Amino acid sequence: MTVVATTSVDETRDLAAAVSSLARAGDVIVLAGDLGAGKTAFVQGFGRGLGVPDRITSPTFTLVHVYEGRLPVHHVDVYRLEQLSEVLDLGLAEMLDDGGVVLIEWGDAILPVLPHDFLEVRITFGASDDDRQIVFHSVGPTWAPRGDAIAGVVSPWGATT
Amino acid sequence: MLILGITTSTAQVGCAIGGHEGVLGAIHSARGRRHAETLTPAIEFLCRQTRVELSDIGAIAVDLGPGMFTGLRVGVAAGKALSHARRLPMIGVTSLDLLAFPLRHSHRRIVCAIDAGRGEIFHASYRQSPGGVQRVTSPQVASPDDLASDLQATGEEVLLAGDGALRYLSVFEQVRRVELADRGEAYPLAGSLVQLAHARALREEFVNPAELTPIYLRKPDAEINWTTRDRAGA
Repeated sequence: MTVVATTSVDETRDLAAAVSSLARAGDVIVLAGDLGAGKTAFVQGFGRGLGVPDRITSPTFTLVHVYEGRLPVHHVDVYRLEQLSEVLDLGLAEMLDDGGVVLIEWGDAILPVLPHDFLEVRITFGASDDDRQIVFHSVGPTWAPRGDAIAGVVSPWGATT
Repeated sequence: MLILGITTSTAQVGCAIGGHEGVLGAIHSARGRRHAETLTPAIEFLCRQTRVELSDIGAIAVDLGPGMFTGLRVGVAAGKALSHARRLPMIGVTSLDLLAFPLRHSHRRIVCAIDAGRGEIFHASYRQSPGGVQRVTSPQVASPDDLASDLQATGEEVLLAGDGALRYLSVFEQVRRVELADRGEAYPLAGSLVQLAHARALREEFVNPAELTPIYLRKPDAEINWTTRDRAGA
């Protein structure tokens, strides 16, 4: 587990761009945090890091956005879903097979249908309005070995493990 | 009666037109970026090349899966839209039945396996029967290792087909008395769909489009535990 802090949305984006350097085909990233915490901002930075030229916007109402970068980026938001089966209706299995990265906002709510191999990024509010604490937790066969690498790339933001 | 058949349950999207004369034409592509982008232009091209107007079509047949979620939804939705617009009856056929149909001349047990993603396959077994094949096990989802053990245990001569078999070739190659069907038989063919649907159309075995749903096989029947969101909304 790695803990860092940011003091602005731009800083959260920069942090995410740094983390994106570790992305591989088939990765799942679970984004946890309350409304307004900065989950979409994290994906924006992550996409920029992967060379996505488009503007990344919240998929809360459209559910899934797909972008082309160094790897395909599937940006999913399950906030409006009620049933686990609806997650599969989004084509989760194919997204995972697409050779890209799948980032899922509110993904911590759908762990039963996710592979047990993901990076959890939990964003919580800090003392002042723009302060955020971000906790990285890597789980499973491909992510757990990348724990140290994550601590390395986010060290500019004061990583503690 | 002419039937338009649509297959979208695998990486290969396909459509065919046929009837009592057999298959008039078929198009398949396993390299399309998205089924939704390939299917409609393919149907249009097929109609032109077979000199068939949409108004000549008497029924719509769709591949019901199991298979790729997004593909199935595209195919079933397109079929229903055409059926609704032209008031045409519909016929649904299981993807695994479509895979088995071209292998109907084999005396061996036929096992069809479609890639289910996430390290799993959908599979079913068939035996030759007069004029076709008969399904002897119902479609189910399993790991390739589980199916391989089952096949090993029965010790029967097996002909194995489908993209699920190809993807896990290394697993199935180790099973004795199992032969892999040709790569050309890896995907359900729209021509098979039209032929199977034609037999059903003659018996007037149509399905109400409203009741036609894809076969998913592994949908979890649970609500999302929304403690986080409900706390946020409160």
